[in-house]
Amino acid sequence: MPDLSITIAGIEMKNPLTVGSGTYGHHGRFSQFFPVETMGALVPKTIRPHQWPGNPPQRVLEVPAGLHSSVGIPSIPWDQFETEDAPRLKALNLPVIQSVIGRTEDEYAEVVRRCTDLDAFAGLELNLSCPNLKQGGLDFGYDPDAAYRLVSRAREQTDLPLIAKLAPDYSSLVPVAQAIEAAGADAVALVNAPRAMCIDADTLKPMIGNGVGALSGPAIKPMAVYMVWTLYRAISLPIFGMGGVATYRDVIEFMAAGASAVAFGTVSYVDPMALPRALRELEAWMAQNGIDDVEQLVGAAHDADFERPQSRRVA
Amino acid sequence: MEQTDAPVVSNTHLTGEYWLLEVEAPSVAAALEPGQFVNIRIRDSLAPFLRRPFSVYRVNPEKTRLQVAYKILGNGTRLMKETLQPGALCDLIGPLGKGFELPEDAKTIALVGRGIGIAALPMLADLAAARGVTSHAFLSARSRDNLVGAEIFASHGGQVFTHADDTPDDVALVTDHLLRMAESTAFDAMYVCGSNRLIRQVDKLARAHGIPAQSAMEQHMACGFGDCHGCIIEVNLDRDGESRGYREVCHHGPVFNTWEVANA
Repeated sequence: MPDLSITIAGIEMKNPLTVGSGTYGHHGRFSQFFPVETMGALVPKTIRPHQWPGNPPQRVLEVPAGLHSSVGIPSIPWDQFETEDAPRLKALNLPVIQSVIGRTEDEYAEVVRRCTDLDAFAGLELNLSCPNLKQGGLDFGYDPDAAYRLVSRAREQTDLPLIAKLAPDYSSLVPVAQAIEAAGADAVALVNAPRAMCIDADTLKPMIGNGVGALSGPAIKPMAVYMVWTLYRAISLPIFGMGGVATYRDVIEFMAAGASAVAFGTVSYVDPMALPRALRELEAWMAQNGIDDVEQLVGAAHDADFERPQSRRVA
Repeated sequence: MEQTDAPVVSNTHLTGEYWLLEVEAPSVAAALEPGQFVNIRIRDSLAPFLRRPFSVYRVNPEKTRLQVAYKILGNGTRLMKETLQPGALCDLIGPLGKGFELPEDAKTIALVGRGIGIAALPMLADLAAARGVTSHAFLSARSRDNLVGAEIFASHGGQVFTHADDTPDDVALVTDHLLRMAESTAFDAMYVCGSNRLIRQVDKLARAHGIPAQSAMEQHMACGFGDCHGCIIEVNLDRDGESRGYREVCHHGPVFNTWEVANA
């Protein structure tokens, strides 16, 4: 049988498949479809240090091959997360990488410290797509200096592996990723859902409540693959690839571009069994093609003489 | 709740603008309660991308089949009509959400629906009849042939009041009939689905008479099972409406108390 196990940022995964943080809630509702332990790691929905109701309706809208949404990362009270969700997540028999977000550097540091203290997680994902209130709403993930400071602060709070989830803005992708690497992150995750907007041609108004939202689903996959491919050449950190993944062939594509692990996101809303099916089919495909170790796929699309940059991480 | 490939039994014109899909789904049908819904993937492709949520119209007496009444509104429902023909498999997830509550001691109830909203009520009328509860129906639509399922409500013995916007003889609105009947009939509960105006009217009446009233709500959905947090509506958290909050239609609903959603 092919070896599907992979180690990323020090986290041992029995297979490279996981879920995008926005798409797997804390309530275990997906477990009604398949055992959560099927996947290599679980990345539950992003948690904030403080309760937040999320954005106003309408929050979701179908677009061609995708989903336009602005949910706003609603968060339950921290006490509830600590007493109900974290113990449930800790009891699972797989690595859990908790995604976190804040509105300021202090909030990021706070939620990282609190999550670390729970002793429930194998790693933490820093969702860098929150508007930086002190900088007029610019996302942390679009600004190398802000990203560096934020990751550095988080690094001081935890010994857990830190995965920085990047915003998909090509103009700042490489400098932000390099800043994150220098600040001590252990891996990057990309792409987060890009910003998007749909306007009703009859009313001339945005079609979702927040006006601006995100685009996810297969519509963004080629862009996401390109960004994974780009960062694989630019930094030495391992990559969680995501963005429109729906089948085992998408998994192969992301891994060939440079991802060590691959996350299923929006497709799970449509087909909750997409991940376990892809896992079976990936294993069968590897067996058929004589690939005995899934790590052989990582970066396979790059030139044979291409060498990844050595780590520039600050010790 | 489960995901299943349900064989299509039939997919035929129902009345007016509405079609009726019937599928064989014993485990889902047996677990369904009135007001709950199913989420259907029209076909295994990226277009349409999302599933489509539908209230369940009826379940057969053996509880092996379920019916969905739908209106062709876009590509999804058009493909649904064309592709989900007998012999095809219908990928559905269900039962989903929380259904209507029929009080144990109920004797008489009112069912108020407009347009496709009526499609959420026949299963409740069936349950009421099975429990010996008399249900009176108050149905309205833009045209007479869009009064979905009027014959079902009539078959259970209660009175059926209808109003079609395009029918000159229909002078009185169904809410007029409802208000008049409520003066002489002790409804034990009321149920409404169809428009915010109807919900407000029913809620006002329910408050005046001190009886429970519930409404089935709709919202754009992605997952349908409470994970994406996409299908929220703003609700009253108290009866006075002084505190407001968000609730997920798929998970906390689709059935809500009318006092929660009367101003939604």
